[in-house]
Amino acid sequence: MSGDFFKPGGRAAMHRVWKHILLITPLSLFVAVMGFLIFYPVPKPPAGEMEYARNAISAAVKQGAGTYSQTLYNYALNCYDSALVLWKLENNRNRYRRNYDKVTRYASLAAAKALEASRDSEANTTGMNSSVLEKINSVMKTDEEIKRRFSKYPLPTEFRHNISRGQILLSEARIAWEEGDYVKAQRKIEEAESLLTAAYEYADADLRNYFRAYPQWKTWIDTTITESRINQDYSIIVDKFSRKLVLYYSGEPLISYKAELGKNWVGDKRVRGDKATPEGMYRIAKKFLHDSTTYYKALLLDYPNEEDTAIFEGMITKGQLPRNAKIGGMIEIHGNGGKGSDWTAGCIALTDREMDSLFSKVSIGTRVTIVGSMYSLNNVLKR
Amino acid sequence: MKNRILMGLAAVVMVAVLASCGKKPQAEIDATNAAITAAQAAEANVYLPAEFAALQDSLNAINAAITEVDGKLFKNYKDVVAKLATLKTDAETVTANVAAKKEEVKKEAEGLMAEIKAVVEENAKLFPKLPKGKEGAAVIEAVKADLANVDAAVAEAQALYDKGTYMDALNKVKAATEKAKALNTEIKEVLTKARIRF
Repeated sequence: MSGDFFKPGGRAAMHRVWKHILLITPLSLFVAVMGFLIFYPVPKPPAGEMEYARNAISAAVKQGAGTYSQTLYNYALNCYDSALVLWKLENNRNRYRRNYDKVTRYASLAAAKALEASRDSEANTTGMNSSVLEKINSVMKTDEEIKRRFSKYPLPTEFRHNISRGQILLSEARIAWEEGDYVKAQRKIEEAESLLTAAYEYADADLRNYFRAYPQWKTWIDTTITESRINQDYSIIVDKFSRKLVLYYSGEPLISYKAELGKNWVGDKRVRGDKATPEGMYRIAKKFLHDSTTYYKALLLDYPNEEDTAIFEGMITKGQLPRNAKIGGMIEIHGNGGKGSDWTAGCIALTDREMDSLFSKVSIGTRVTIVGSMYSLNNVLKR
Repeated sequence: MKNRILMGLAAVVMVAVLASCGKKPQAEIDATNAAITAAQAAEANVYLPAEFAALQDSLNAINAAITEVDGKLFKNYKDVVAKLATLKTDAETVTANVAAKKEEVKKEAEGLMAEIKAVVEENAKLFPKLPKGKEGAAVIEAVKADLANVDAAVAEAQALYDKGTYMDALNKVKAATEKAKALNTEIKEVLTKARIRF
């Protein structure tokens, strides 16, 4: 070898060898390194598992899990985020020493929770859909009952206000339900239910309390009809709850008129200005033609009678009324009615035509019995 | 000569291999995130929830793809960049569509507000015509309460509208309109019964 070097051309040959060494060695090294890097097995990241988890979360979102299964949905999201963070951390490690087990575990957990959230949301949505609808229908029934029974029933302003507010909330609940926003619908219907139920319960209790006087009314009615039969004469019974004035002759109902009453018609009249129509057995004290009354024609009743006066004085004595309270009077059956509301200060209003009819039949001394109702509460509620 | 060519080729291969390690497209990522944030700020989640959810799905998929590329030896973000560009365009489209949808809801709310205000005005004009009692003004408590509540609901709807929450304002005004119209019918029925002209 050393002999060749000193041969002619030996230096050039040696130069070529070195050139080859310098070129081929790094190239071979590079190829070897690249081959190692490319072909040496490295742990594969769980991209498929992550995609599956993502799709499961996306399906859960579409199922409304963010609203209807919040806990499970948030848990799934947290697991997915944790998986992504762990994946990034693994990326920072030596590629041959990476371990994606935790990432896979979190991705699988995210997918499982998302699927669970989807199922839970679907069940909750279906459940809420029907439970809220059921509640809406139930509150609508309460509202209809309030309208049917108590639309003309004098209720405190606060309850009237609550009924009205409840009805608006009921509409809002229905609109939210129609739009599929069951959470909002539930919130609104609960508010509506609370207001309307409270008003209904108050009115119902008040009505039941009012009808405790029914046995007394029944006695008055029976006495009035018996009187009419015995005397072969006219008698009048005013049924405040039905807003009817019934003219009897010889104990038989002859004509029924539609009556309008005082604004606070529930309960007996207690004091002047309470806008209540009195309850009791009265007689016609005076008849006024239209030149003597501003209400077309009028039949003045003998209110207050002795019983009314005794009750009134008893209330003053017991301190239930102020000492300067007045019992009131001028309770009439008069015309100008037919307005469709209870507008008088305690009188009974008929239409002018009906007043003509009644006026021509009755006379001074005709019995006029005013009762809360001619029918028992059970009958009234069934009607 | 042959060696020089080989050396050149080797250098080219090495440079090509090393150059193929692409840089993370941070500018594109930031731009896309900004476009999605803009869509959210425009209330896409309220007015176009399905479209907004789709944007978020795509963003999540791209984030995972970026992480996947990050972990590779030879990083190639070409696909990711293309996806980011598409998502950015989609987000911008959604933002534009939200504005249109918002305008549509706003117009609907405005229409209903104008309608309810007209009904409320008519109700207020009709209310004093209701049958009068012996001692001054007739007080029909139910109607009064309804009028007050409809007024309150309209005021609430107006406040929501002024705040820019048109969807809530629209739902509120829808319910109030139903009540105001029912009230209007009720008042007119009473007036007709009482033979009062209106």
